[in-house]
Amino acid sequence: MTASTSHRSLGLAASAPAPGPIPFSRLVRVEWEKATDTRAARWLLGLAGLSTIGMAMVPVLAPRTFDQSHASYVRVAALGLTILLPVVAILMLTGEWSQRSILTTFTQEPRRLRVVTAKLAVSVVLSLGGALFGGVVAAGAIGLAASSGRALDADLSGGVVAGYVLFVLLNVLAGVALGALLQSSAAAIAASFALPATVAALATASTLVENWIDMSTWNWVLEGEWSGHEPQIAFSIAFWVGVPLAAGVVRTIRRDVS
Amino acid sequence: MITTTALTKSYDTTPVVRDVSLHCEPGTITGFLGANGAGKSTTLKMIAGLVRPDRGTATIDGRPVVELPNPTRVVGMLLDASAMHPGRTGRATLTTAARLAGVPTEGVERLLDLVGLADAADKRVGTYSLGMRQRLGIAQALVGGPRALILDEPANGLDPEGIAWMRTLLRDFADHGGTVLLSSHLLHEVQATADHLVVIAGGAVVAAGRLDELLASSTILVRSPDAGALAAALRAARIDYVVGPAGALTVDVAGGRVTTQVLAEVARDHQVLLTELRPSDVDGLEQLFFSLTAAEAAVPQEVPA
Repeated sequence: MTASTSHRSLGLAASAPAPGPIPFSRLVRVEWEKATDTRAARWLLGLAGLSTIGMAMVPVLAPRTFDQSHASYVRVAALGLTILLPVVAILMLTGEWSQRSILTTFTQEPRRLRVVTAKLAVSVVLSLGGALFGGVVAAGAIGLAASSGRALDADLSGGVVAGYVLFVLLNVLAGVALGALLQSSAAAIAASFALPATVAALATASTLVENWIDMSTWNWVLEGEWSGHEPQIAFSIAFWVGVPLAAGVVRTIRRDVS
Repeated sequence: MITTTALTKSYDTTPVVRDVSLHCEPGTITGFLGANGAGKSTTLKMIAGLVRPDRGTATIDGRPVVELPNPTRVVGMLLDASAMHPGRTGRATLTTAARLAGVPTEGVERLLDLVGLADAADKRVGTYSLGMRQRLGIAQALVGGPRALILDEPANGLDPEGIAWMRTLLRDFADHGGTVLLSSHLLHEVQATADHLVVIAGGAVVAAGRLDELLASSTILVRSPDAGALAAALRAARIDYVVGPAGALTVDVAGGRVTTQVLAEVARDHQVLLTELRPSDVDGLEQLFFSLTAAEAAVPQEVPA
């Protein structure tokens, strides 16, 4: 290593202009890469895809138990999507704490709110991409059912699609919120299955819990049954997404990284 | 330039860092020396903005790290070589860092060459040895072309050849106007790498200054087969001495007036053969370091959080 090459290698000569802030779009792109470029992430995304496909086949194989309508097929795909897609979102928030690479991330961009916001943006992209994939899978299932000679109600409307996309988004954001709050992969994944189950059990004993907190309130979103349920839906969104996400952001910003 | 003033941090009620003030100038390598748990890592993490100090400030080129718009362009940091995603390859790790810093990703290949990881670039970091992770971490610290480097125990896990390589690299970086702050719990590592030294024990700075000044010996040992002639020569030159074991004479440096060169000249002028001529207590710093390390058992330890 000669002095002249190392001089260039170390880049000291080129460091004259003061660089501007990191553009938000760049943060989002980097977070997207980090969320998707590991084998673990690809496996999980693959499994989420498989579980969606598997779920979408259920109304094809069990025509008696499911409405044979386009909307019904799309909703079943949503249920398949939301088994594992929230876990992908959780890992995006917690993985860097568990792997401790958060230490590097926060030295690269010390404005931690921007990092969390970028991860949030990636999770929205992930939700929309997932919803698109679920739509394609549902279309395939519908095609399969139609090719077997079954007549399906073509009842797809803008409202159905909006409810479907929002349902997927809410489930993913609940994962984001839990991950941001708990900052541990194991704890957040366990909680993402245990908490809704616990609340659902409580809901059998209390209609208050059932109508205002239980995640089944989001079925109103999926089924397009907004009318009369707006306050309950809003409350359960605040409970599962708003409050834990806000608390998680505060905790992320304040936490000492050691 | 890296500056801290009176950085102080406690975990619960246990003080971990107490009033640590550092000043690292461009063109120098500052060794931050202390036993494990002395508060080195916590201090560096406060400079990095990862740990919030209870009191005190830390700035790089006059600004706190958290206020730098794009910190990796100003300061490269390697705080924990194991804090990398094991599922990503070395090349992907550097490419991501380069992209975030906003520098051309073509530089990644050059950096991989520089740190000797070109052949392992497409292996996952999880398969790397600690030494390879240190090399990758150094590459990551350099990716934005920073003017300052902060490295926590960079020699950990490196083999002797790797340590020599790193010393050359850091010296080169400093010689081109860069500022380097590196921590170590090994005195000899710091002695071989740094030109400035800050010793921390029990969370507080106990010694700081230029390495050569801290190392300066107060006595010189000089030996001749003809001890009587040497003693006479010293007396003639009005140099005080004490007779040591096996005929060696120990000479006081008298505030710098007497150096090894002065003694060599005296010996030449009196035609006395010398068989040994050296500062007699080069291990003074080592003694200081070990006495501080031993004393540290009595003061609160750093708690891993």
